[in-house]
Amino acid sequence: MDKQQRLKNWQEKTEQSMNRFPERKERFHTSSDIEIKRLYGAEDENYPFDTLGLPGEYPYTRGSQSTMYRARFWTMRQYAGFGSAEETNKRFRYLLEQGQTGLSVAFDLPTQIGYDSDHSMARGEVGKVGVAIDSLEDMEALLKDIPLDKVSTSMTINAPASVLLAMYIAVAQKQGVEADQLSGTIQNDILKEYIARGTYIFPPKPSMRLITDIFAYCQSHVPKWNTISISGYHIREAGANAAQELAFTIANGLAYVDAALEAGLKIDDFAPRLAFFFNAHNQFFEEAAKFRAARRMWAKLMKERYGAKNQKSWQLRFHTQTGGSTLTAQQPDNNIVRVTTQALSAILGGTQSLHTNSRDEALALPTEESARIALRTQQILAHETGVADTVDPLAGSYYVESLTDELESKANEYLNKIEQMGGAVSAVEQGYMQREIHHTSYETQKKIENGQEIIVGMNKFTIDNEHQPELLRVDPELGEKQKEKLKALKFTRDQDRVSAQLEMLRSAAKGQDNLMPVILECVKSYCTVGEICGVLREEFGEYTGV
Amino acid sequence: MKKTIRVLIAKPGLDGHDRGALVISQALRDYGMEVIYTGLRQTPEQIAAAAIQEDVDAIGLSCLSGAHNELFPEVMRLLQERGADDIIVVGGGVIPWEDIPFLESKGIKKVFTPGTPTIETAKFIEKTVFERDGISSSKVSAQPPEKIDHIGIAVSSLDETLPFYVNQLGLTLEAIEEVPSQRVKVAFIKIGETRLELLEAMSDDSPIAQFIEKRGQGVHHVALGVSNIQNRIEELKSNGIKMINETPVIGAGGAQVAFMHPSSSHKVLFELCEKSKKEEA
Repeated sequence: MDKQQRLKNWQEKTEQSMNRFPERKERFHTSSDIEIKRLYGAEDENYPFDTLGLPGEYPYTRGSQSTMYRARFWTMRQYAGFGSAEETNKRFRYLLEQGQTGLSVAFDLPTQIGYDSDHSMARGEVGKVGVAIDSLEDMEALLKDIPLDKVSTSMTINAPASVLLAMYIAVAQKQGVEADQLSGTIQNDILKEYIARGTYIFPPKPSMRLITDIFAYCQSHVPKWNTISISGYHIREAGANAAQELAFTIANGLAYVDAALEAGLKIDDFAPRLAFFFNAHNQFFEEAAKFRAARRMWAKLMKERYGAKNQKSWQLRFHTQTGGSTLTAQQPDNNIVRVTTQALSAILGGTQSLHTNSRDEALALPTEESARIALRTQQILAHETGVADTVDPLAGSYYVESLTDELESKANEYLNKIEQMGGAVSAVEQGYMQREIHHTSYETQKKIENGQEIIVGMNKFTIDNEHQPELLRVDPELGEKQKEKLKALKFTRDQDRVSAQLEMLRSAAKGQDNLMPVILECVKSYCTVGEICGVLREEFGEYTGV
Repeated sequence: MKKTIRVLIAKPGLDGHDRGALVISQALRDYGMEVIYTGLRQTPEQIAAAAIQEDVDAIGLSCLSGAHNELFPEVMRLLQERGADDIIVVGGGVIPWEDIPFLESKGIKKVFTPGTPTIETAKFIEKTVFERDGISSSKVSAQPPEKIDHIGIAVSSLDETLPFYVNQLGLTLEAIEEVPSQRVKVAFIKIGETRLELLEAMSDDSPIAQFIEKRGQGVHHVALGVSNIQNRIEELKSNGIKMINETPVIGAGGAQVAFMHPSSSHKVLFELCEKSKKEEA
């Protein structure tokens, strides 16, 4: 097909889709009344169709939809959660009132590692980095009065992802919302837990089974759910550079695809529900280029290597969070500026949703005021700057296109190396990614310490007598209160039903059947996260690190 | 003999963020300490037991999850219970300033907040352990350099000199590069694990041009391979050595280098040279 024809087809298709998803404005224009076109560059006769494609078309370098933010801004999704389910519910409703468009749940560490609040390992951790969820009772309180058929909810939960997803489905059913109406995401990405984040429970093999069970279950029961969020975010936070983040994330993605295929699923049945999660770090252009490179790499792999036919399988859709480790404890207000430029790189890179960090997160969980400034930062970028008025405005920049190409080729070198090691699972078991990340992180630290890298307010432009901001404090009594609540639950629930369900879970774990239905029954019987994960720990064993 | 300080770096609780713990472990090792890292998810009991069993001088606790107020004092209590409270305990992570006085009142010697240079932590541990043991820190000798990284030879012309090394001596020319910070062009010649570095001035104000004008061609400097160069500089300075470069500059091959003043080293020009592990490999 010649280029003119291709562009014409794209224009027709785009206008058709606009009947269903109209753009935000009839006409976009600058302050000087210059009309802003939807797309620039493609009418040029030297336009590189093969490497850039058109927005919403293979290989998606310019974006996963044809009108991008001219139709709808990215989803502003602030990760929140602390203390009790009731407190977090209040913060969620506050954020929704403030114009946030999706929820994102942070769980506390005992929940993430499958311990109840009364477990000895949970000491000091209950409700600290997120909300404490022990049973369905807590989940009901967390989601109280939030219409689950209208909001989309992202849950940062990995090893016990099946349990929390089951609870979400159960609460929805109680609200009268069927599972097939639910939309949201579970992180469910265990490989990066081994590599970088540390909240693993089980060894790789049974963990991969839990993941592919979720893929299969959601395909028929919760079709609008994103079954995994393959995350480079934490890999970057652990000290990786942009190319490593890109490469290791995609390598992990390929491992999940391979596991699902091996479990008998068909590529076009599960691939459209795979989502990604990246970090937006300081180097502005490199970050924007990274997102563009990621889309192109994934599209090529899905189409060429796996023979996916469904265009949705080719599209890499992603959430972005600004880089937490770039925040300084010194002069914390400076962090607002860092977050702004990082967020801008994610927007120019075409993110589907965005979390902007709060200025005080190097010190504690954010206060309500800090969380509001973080959300306002996104709203200012969206509504005041005009950066969202044309699709992929950085395309064609010599610098950005060259960075996009080079990141892709650096990442491909890593991918080849990982493949030679037998894929991501085996590379993780050999500690390969962990070592690479540590090396980069240590070199970065040295550069900061000897002044080769400047961190404003920390190793240069410092001030004496730092002002100490107000910080959020989590109720120190919460651990005790949560233990009381759990005790009361264990007294009132139907204990025989609990024991029977847990035994059914045990025998299902020994066999091959999909674990989701039996986990759903367990949570409906008010089995706790700790009890369910406890049975699985006994059956699957525990991962102990490399 | 110099005492080697042993440190246990530990991650109490469920927090999985170990970037800081890994970085501080390596930085303390590079400083010359022996470091044992516990790995993730350690209970206070496990940490106290490991510290006693490994006979460490100090423990570094790292926690980013907000559980520090409960877990750090518990470690202190257990150490005390077992008569091991002479072990120096420091902490780090995401710890609000307002919690620090409480932790210090429980016996934590110091809390290092984000952005603290690792050298500061290393020096604090060293000083505190030596004070505890009654060792005067002036007796502490500098870490010995690890090897001769290279020998610098000033030449008036690389083109004229290179044939001698390559053709007559049969050595291998690795690379030629320009180092703008010193206004020199450098040829590297590999010999065993070390190198000869031939230096040609790129302009008249280059230190090499001045050297040749004063003393003629010949051996210019000896470069000592070190790790953690900033540490070495600090140590040398505290031992009364005058440095030409008090902070490292970028030398040939991207290495970090710093020259000692010849007045402190009996007229021999010594260079400290740190190469990143990757460049060396």
